Amino acid sequence: MATATLARPRTTLPAVPTTLGSTVGLDSTAMTTDEPHAAPHDLVEETEAQLDAVSEEAALREDEAGDREDEASDREDEASDDQATAVDVVDAKTVSEAELRSLFEDQALPFMDQLYGAAMRMTRNPADASDLVQETFVKAFAAFRQFKQGTNLKAWLYRILTNTFINTYRKNQRNPYQGTIDELEDWQLGGAESVTQSISARSAEADAIDHLPSSAVKDALQAIPEDFRMAVYFADVEGFSYQEIADIMKTPVGTVMSRLHRGRRLLRGLLADHARETGIVPDAASTATMRGRGRKVAAASSRVEGKEAR
Amino acid sequence: MSGCDCSKAKAELEEFLHGELCREDAADIREHMDDCEDCTTEHRVGVVLIETVRRACKETAPEELRTEILARIRLEQATH
Repeated sequence: MATATLARPRTTLPAVPTTLGSTVGLDSTAMTTDEPHAAPHDLVEETEAQLDAVSEEAALREDEAGDREDEASDREDEASDDQATAVDVVDAKTVSEAELRSLFEDQALPFMDQLYGAAMRMTRNPADASDLVQETFVKAFAAFRQFKQGTNLKAWLYRILTNTFINTYRKNQRNPYQGTIDELEDWQLGGAESVTQSISARSAEADAIDHLPSSAVKDALQAIPEDFRMAVYFADVEGFSYQEIADIMKTPVGTVMSRLHRGRRLLRGLLADHARETGIVPDAASTATMRGRGRKVAAASSRVEGKEAR
Repeated sequence: MSGCDCSKAKAELEEFLHGELCREDAADIREHMDDCEDCTTEHRVGVVLIETVRRACKETAPEELRTEILARIRLEQATH
């Protein structure tokens, strides 16, 4: 989303500090992604992910250009003049088609395994994950000329991945939690109640979770609501910052934190349950508050989402 | 002079784990954990959770996917 792009120093466009400053000021107070030029809130209505990604960039550039039409024509010159200060090595807007492709292959393709991992958590099966990753790369390539070199390519690719997933998959399988999951109270969600546990119980819990097989961890991840799952995935697996996740998921940072907190809490409850049920941790080590918690949502969620993936 | 008690440490633990706290706040949490077994344990559960999820989610895309993507990109370029 545009917020991060805006907040980041735009070394390629040094001529627009005033526009940039005012926009950043707006963002920091609102902390929201719903800017006037942003696409409709309902992502499902959007047709193409790359249009979305591109339109943000394009709208941004138009905003900047609006105040200074005369400077627009100097853009190319500025870009080359500023090579010394700019982080850009290559300007994707001026390279040839062949160069663009090789640039894309060098820069974007190395993220394939990571994107595939995220796609697996989204689609839950290898065939759909492969299709999703392929679509993502095709869309990313189509929009690559608009990608601003020197900004966060990985986050950009994940944003396209997420949009593509929402537009092509979620459309068909309506998530019943969509729009409501963030409003649920903690007691409705369940999850681990760590505060009431003794230190030794929690220490045993950590050991148990540490020894769980990957399949059990993936099952637990699949069992938590999608928005929570992906927030956990983006933060814990990919190491994205809260702001980057907010941009990828097009949601305020506060919502990201809430999703993360709740997702991790549910996950912890499920993993502790699993560890106890399979005897990895002795029953005595888990308190009554742990037992059975985190299952309400998990059970309902797995009915909808199935469990075919590993 | 720790400006940090258990409730503050627990409230900010997740941000601490994700490196979202400023240096001063993170130092407060670290200092608090030096003397607090309770919060240290909670921190350890959090670290284990992150590492477990990270480990479990490591995926390698199928070999043919790369080939397919390269072919698609070339095709896109040729037709546009």
